[in-house]
Amino acid sequence: MEKQLIVSVSREYGSGGHHIAIQLAERLGIQLVDYDVFYEMAKEKGIDLHKMRPYDETRKKPFLHRTVRGMSNSPEEALAEMQFEFMRHKAESGESFVIVGRCAETILKDYEGLVSFFITGDMETKIKRIEEVRSFNREDAVAAIKRHDKNRKAYHNYYSDMKWGDSRNYDMCINSSRIGLDKTTDVIENYIRSRVEE
Amino acid sequence: MLVARILAVTIFIVMFIMIITEKIEKQYVTLACGLLTLLLVFGVGIGLVGGDGGLMKSAIVDTLNVHNIFTPGFWYSAGEAAEESSGINWATILFLTGMMIMVEGMARVGFFRWLCMLIAKLVHYKTISIFITFMIMSFVLAMFIDSITVILFLAAVTIELSQLLKFNPVPMILSEIFCANLGGSATMCGDPPNIIIGTAFGYSFSSFLTNTGLIAVVCLVVIVFYFYLVFHKELATLEGQAVDIATMPEPKSAILDKKGFIVSSVIFFIAVVLLVTHAMTGLTVATIGVGIAVITIITTAMIAGGKGVKEIMSRVDYQTLLFFIGLFIVVGGLEQTGILVLIANGIEVVSGGNFYIMIAIIIWVSGVASAFIDNIPFAATMVPVISSLAATAGIPLETLAWALAMGTDIGGSATPIGASANVVGTAAAAKAGHPIGWGTYCKKAAPATIIVLAMSMLMIFVRYL
Repeated sequence: MEKQLIVSVSREYGSGGHHIAIQLAERLGIQLVDYDVFYEMAKEKGIDLHKMRPYDETRKKPFLHRTVRGMSNSPEEALAEMQFEFMRHKAESGESFVIVGRCAETILKDYEGLVSFFITGDMETKIKRIEEVRSFNREDAVAAIKRHDKNRKAYHNYYSDMKWGDSRNYDMCINSSRIGLDKTTDVIENYIRSRVEE
Repeated sequence: MLVARILAVTIFIVMFIMIITEKIEKQYVTLACGLLTLLLVFGVGIGLVGGDGGLMKSAIVDTLNVHNIFTPGFWYSAGEAAEESSGINWATILFLTGMMIMVEGMARVGFFRWLCMLIAKLVHYKTISIFITFMIMSFVLAMFIDSITVILFLAAVTIELSQLLKFNPVPMILSEIFCANLGGSATMCGDPPNIIIGTAFGYSFSSFLTNTGLIAVVCLVVIVFYFYLVFHKELATLEGQAVDIATMPEPKSAILDKKGFIVSSVIFFIAVVLLVTHAMTGLTVATIGVGIAVITIITTAMIAGGKGVKEIMSRVDYQTLLFFIGLFIVVGGLEQTGILVLIANGIEVVSGGNFYIMIAIIIWVSGVASAFIDNIPFAATMVPVISSLAATAGIPLETLAWALAMGTDIGGSATPIGASANVVGTAAAAKAGHPIGWGTYCKKAAPATIIVLAMSMLMIFVRYL
């Protein structure tokens, strides 16, 4: 791929967005950037991201942290800034990649090669998927969906002027429950290829 | 006056809430609230509703306090202590500005990193020795330099050393933060509450040093021992590892401008001498601040040209200076409307006139409040309160001032948000992949805070009552 391509996949918990991102990276032959990649990046710099995992994709807790001279002591913000810096650096280097969540469509909006998607899903389908993938019972699956989506929404809206899942913020918003994950990936892939040809 | 009082308290509470929420930068919050104080409290509350134009005018003039700058006593006060003044504490603003410029000048040439690296080298990069010496260095530096800068550099070097020597930097950073706050309590220029207290009551550097300074030094001995007991196991496990000293960075590699380094060191020395002797020389802290700033700017211009001066000036924390100006006006609103006298009377009633209880209230209320809210607005608010309390209850003002200084300076150490140094230190740790949660922080720092507050209270009881 000659031109830089950055595919940002935002997703509701249980919508299969991460799975779609993996498929897209494989089909397009470009790197997938998710938590594991951030972990490797941090390891190279001697930073232990294991301890930071609980703070991933969550916004800072109000009243529990302060900012002095532009330095925030919120681990959530520290991790987010690290990830944003990594994304910008990667985008600046001209590399093509698929990135999952982490407000990428906002952070990298100035890059011409950015194509952004928001994957949503029907509640019943998402519950079934979480029950299968995470081996949760129905009650736990519902709770996990609510918790994760609440965190992701708060995280996104803290760093972005646009609301999480607002169609005006993405190239395409798509419900993966309607035609299944593989066909959803096909639709997205076709759209990306059309965009690249433009 | 009732309307003015209600307005003053409302503005004050709104200001505090907005500072805590951090939705808007704190200097804009205090400046906007300051403007509202002038318009609503003085203009509407006292002037329009109260119908007292004369009082409105004097309240505005006293609160803005600009006339004070043009009095000789603001710059030079031989013998007698400087006159107490209310409203914007311009001496604090000018002194802080001067110190910020000097400290940025020192940072530009690599002074702090050099000092940290030198001490680490002198103790042969032994983890426990670095741990103890860095605590003491943090205390000593914070006596003269703002604790934010001290921790900014100490935490950065601690993290750098922890990566080279493979130790967990969190215990060291927590101890350094605590000692910086403790060191700040030892002198008049160590912590903003002390500058506010000192300039408001005309105290000297040496009066702080011989009172809060003495308490802080005694507490330092206990606290170093406490942190050693708490953390030595975490650090000792790595003591056995052999360290190749040759691979460590040379201290002199930290110096970025040799000529500038020498000049900065001399200016720092002059600043310390001027501060220690200012009661004898009669030079006020405002004069020292302006003088040090001018010397730093001139010498930097000579050595590094306009670019160096621009670099220093761009790093000065203007937000904090503007924050102070707005804050003083809002507190002036409370003062002029007599709210703070009411609080002072309340303390007197609660304590039943008992000096011991009064001191205990000042220390512990200041301590607990400072653990959760910014200690600067708290101290600025309490200064007129203790002044009024001393006048009505007959307790010596100095005794209350030392209690207030220790309470506000030390209370902030208990939580990650209590003092600016805590925020900067834990932010540096989080950025390096070592998040410090409330649990970890408070588990170690809160007992240390309680120990120091209790020791301070007992020492004040024994020495002054």
